[in-house]
Amino acid sequence: MVVMTNRFGLPDLGIGLGLRTAHYAHIVESEPSVDWFEILSDNYMQTSGRPLDYLDAVARRYPIVMHGVSLSIGSTDALDRRYLSELRALRDRTGARWVSDHLCWTGVAGKNTHDLLPMPYTEEALAHVAERVRSVQDYLGAPIALENPSTYVEFKGASMREWEFLARLAEEADCAILLDVNNIYVSAFNHGFDPRAYLAAIPFDRVVQLHVAGHTHHGTHIIDSHIGPVIDDVWKLLGDAYRRAGGVSVLLEWDAEIPPFEEAHAEALRARQFMEAST
Amino acid sequence: MNPGAQVPERNAVAEPVAERERASATPVARETHGLRPPTAPAPRTDGPAARSDALERETRRAGALPMDKERTSPTLRSRQAWFANAVMSLSNELEPTAEEVESILTAGPSLSARDRLGVYRRAYVARLVECLADDYPSLQTTLGEDRFEILCRAYVAHHPSTSPSLNAYGRLMGEFCRDRMGPDLASELSGAGISAGFLADLAALEWAIVEVIHARSVDPLTPSGLADVPVERWADARLEMTPAFRLLRFAYPVNTYLQALREGKALRVPGAAPAAAAVVRSGTTVWRMDLSEPMCDLLQALASGETLGVSLERAALAFGDVAEDVAVKRVMAWFREWVSSGVFSRVMFD
Repeated sequence: MVVMTNRFGLPDLGIGLGLRTAHYAHIVESEPSVDWFEILSDNYMQTSGRPLDYLDAVARRYPIVMHGVSLSIGSTDALDRRYLSELRALRDRTGARWVSDHLCWTGVAGKNTHDLLPMPYTEEALAHVAERVRSVQDYLGAPIALENPSTYVEFKGASMREWEFLARLAEEADCAILLDVNNIYVSAFNHGFDPRAYLAAIPFDRVVQLHVAGHTHHGTHIIDSHIGPVIDDVWKLLGDAYRRAGGVSVLLEWDAEIPPFEEAHAEALRARQFMEAST
Repeated sequence: MNPGAQVPERNAVAEPVAERERASATPVARETHGLRPPTAPAPRTDGPAARSDALERETRRAGALPMDKERTSPTLRSRQAWFANAVMSLSNELEPTAEEVESILTAGPSLSARDRLGVYRRAYVARLVECLADDYPSLQTTLGEDRFEILCRAYVAHHPSTSPSLNAYGRLMGEFCRDRMGPDLASELSGAGISAGFLADLAALEWAIVEVIHARSVDPLTPSGLADVPVERWADARLEMTPAFRLLRFAYPVNTYLQALREGKALRVPGAAPAAAAVVRSGTTVWRMDLSEPMCDLLQALASGETLGVSLERAALAFGDVAEDVAVKRVMAWFREWVSSGVFSRVMFD
């Protein structure tokens, strides 16, 4: 298997952890040994106070990557200039290595659902999103990474599957990919496809980061809850994706029922055995 | 007098709020609220007619750059409008029919198209209710989870989010409690001895805590910085308040009530009685302080830019027959507490 590195020259930061408020004090006071942190960009926008104080302290010590949920790149509303301005300012403030968001939309007609809503995978949508990605990249002066979301519905009339849409979008917009292997697992169950087919279609020279997380199985469907430990099948997907990408940054997301820092970090470091097993 | 020279009794209470997790890439508690039937009225944007009105109100900017383009994808736009409308319609009556959903979305291996859409419908309201619960924990405790959720669903229906950030989503809760709660909920709460005015005051206090967390951080005036001001210059000095300071007057003693809740003391909702409080953040700590009327008047005068001389004269009037040395000692104690809580950012002279 050929080991590739990403075409954007973005660094392999190692194994990181999502920065969560419950861990602020521990991180700032104890400065634990962690390769890097991913922040939820939106938590540090439209604020001037304490969240930024903590972020500044963390960014002085650790490499930062920014991950957003409100870019709404797939929306048919106009791009939000104020949001982009704040995003760029935050990137400059933290020295974030790169900026990511999701292949989704969050609202339309000026309303925001604050959810990652699914795209219809059509040629029309592909052209629409690709144009917007290019605009955002022009504004930021750097490639952005888009993450495959977990989805719970699919639109009728789709002309391609999600993996084809994501791969073509990345090529046409010349953007990076943040590949979330848990989301692949979740969507594969919810929609009945083979996650290996998804991985096989991804242009891994564009993958700059992998996400992994826990989920909640409800029998009839899986929810991307980011709760609890990662199941082995998802870790195996991570190993497979890591092998295909080669030297790519890995990050654990843990967003609900968040355990003490050391427990969350130990779970993230479990990635090592699956990364090593795949080489 | 030199207000920086005395040691006060401590009145300020540190607010044990953790930083709130706002944005998240996970669908918050999608399933936890799934079985409870929606009860709140629908947002005004519901329904095909209202939806098209909302779309009509959009305007294209003149000289649009590529990033400003709208409606370049008509089919995509209509699908998104339908989907958002379906997700944000809180009432059962406005939920799309199975036939309508099936014309747009596919069924999954185990769930119907309508059930799949339901995942998003539940997540939408659950996420916003959770956000409001983060901002208003004492309001939630006071009302109980069920009533609080009814209140929040009504709020969500009335105030759909229009911002990419949730940091300020709950800012209108106080006003909503006072004026827009709706007769059914207000009547039920009144029967439980909880007035809309009390809830509005409690919400205002809790929102002030949120505001000071997000207000600009500045270095506070230190006790030594205050003590260093020459006595002869006190009368003409002005004190700049930190941006993370809020002064609040209430019709109900909600700060005392909130403190009792924090201490786990079972407490009846108090009756109306004028009260005042200050909320201030210094570094990572948020302080809440009960204020007497003279304290409130003094802080208000200072916050409005009055000199220390004028402000202290007003405070002295409020003391009435209290002996001067006692009054001076009290005011000095206040200043020591305010300074140590970070209320002021600097001393200014004309």
